[in-house]
Amino acid sequence: MGLQISTRESGDVTILDLRGRSTIDGGESELLSNQLQKLVASGVRKLLLNLADLTQVDSSGVSIIVRTYVSLKRQGGDLGLLRPSGRVLEVLTVVHLIDAIPSFQDEAEALASFRPRGYSATS
Amino acid sequence: MTTPCSSAIAPTTQKTALLVPSGGEVDELLTNVLASEGWSIQRVVDNQHILALARAKPFDLIVTGRETRVAEDVELLRKIRAARPHVRLIILTDKFTPGDVISAMREGAFSYFSAPFEASELAEMVRAAMAEPCWDDGIEVISGTPEWVSLTARCDLATADRLVQFLHGVRDPSIPEAEKDHVIFAFKEILINAMEHGGHFDPSQHVEISFIRARRAIACRVKDPGKGFSLEELRHAAAGSSPNDLFSHARVRDARGMRPGGFGILLAKKLVDELIYNEKGNEVVLVKYLDPPESPII
Repeated sequence: MGLQISTRESGDVTILDLRGRSTIDGGESELLSNQLQKLVASGVRKLLLNLADLTQVDSSGVSIIVRTYVSLKRQGGDLGLLRPSGRVLEVLTVVHLIDAIPSFQDEAEALASFRPRGYSATS
Repeated sequence: MTTPCSSAIAPTTQKTALLVPSGGEVDELLTNVLASEGWSIQRVVDNQHILALARAKPFDLIVTGRETRVAEDVELLRKIRAARPHVRLIILTDKFTPGDVISAMREGAFSYFSAPFEASELAEMVRAAMAEPCWDDGIEVISGTPEWVSLTARCDLATADRLVQFLHGVRDPSIPEAEKDHVIFAFKEILINAMEHGGHFDPSQHVEISFIRARRAIACRVKDPGKGFSLEELRHAAAGSSPNDLFSHARVRDARGMRPGGFGILLAKKLVDELIYNEKGNEVVLVKYLDPPESPII
């Protein structure tokens, strides 16, 4: 299957739905890296990576997530992780990434986390 | 040793695959993957027919059926290679013994899948077989017993992937699958580090590898052809990051213009019980204990 990436937007948050694996073997991590770099270069500052259908990740995939997170934070942006599970959750937990990068089980909750504090949809 | 690799799949001719049907999802998957790339598929009932056809004309890929024993598939491969040394043959099997993986590697199988296996992994390996222009001699078994296997692996990602799939094919009921997965994951991270940093992904370079199965532990040794390094100097690796700042190495890499990376050693360290480097830093041993540690003496 490799890696399939589809992109959608919710307000000013760009959501990447990842399906397959992000490992070094078949160039999947490179594909993810290129996609993320393009988005950041185009001005995207709020990114949510939907990992629900990501089945595998290795150090190359972890490194790309970290680089993007560090890059966005430096530019005043943010990155969140949505629904990591199985082997992916295990790897993210082992390297303590799950403690360092905001992670959510619910998409609405994840999107709300990008809003400035004090923001209300009705205000 | 075979002749220099000259069997790169020609890009202009229709590629051909020869299969023994395995039934169900596997056949459907193989048909879908191969047909989507425009391959011509020929199906035969058993290994005897494979041998007759493969001797008569070359096939770009041969996949055995799951019903035959690995020993029969390895014998088939040996006979085909006598006439066609660069043949890409993938062994699928439901009938195997612990030593079969070594036999398959030694005889030069492209890959090996013992049940149960993920159909998606087989699909990836078939794609690799279709894409890999020169694969021969990537893995050479130097010596092999059920307890100790020594081999060399060429410094390229495709060879790393093939070797890792052979490891997944090892079925040892005394090793819990979760423990095995952790060892393979850690080994792969270390192997790719060795191929990249020690061998610079130069296909003329090789990594030396040993797997040792002791009664209460598994050990893997990896030696790369590079000059080595010091863990203390690895500010660009997560293993060298401050415990209070997980991302310090990422900033170092960013400042030095390095590609994303640096988590391989950290991941490996967490997934096995011991990760021991030699003084030079070009040789490492991974150890996973299979029994819980003994209670401390009070």
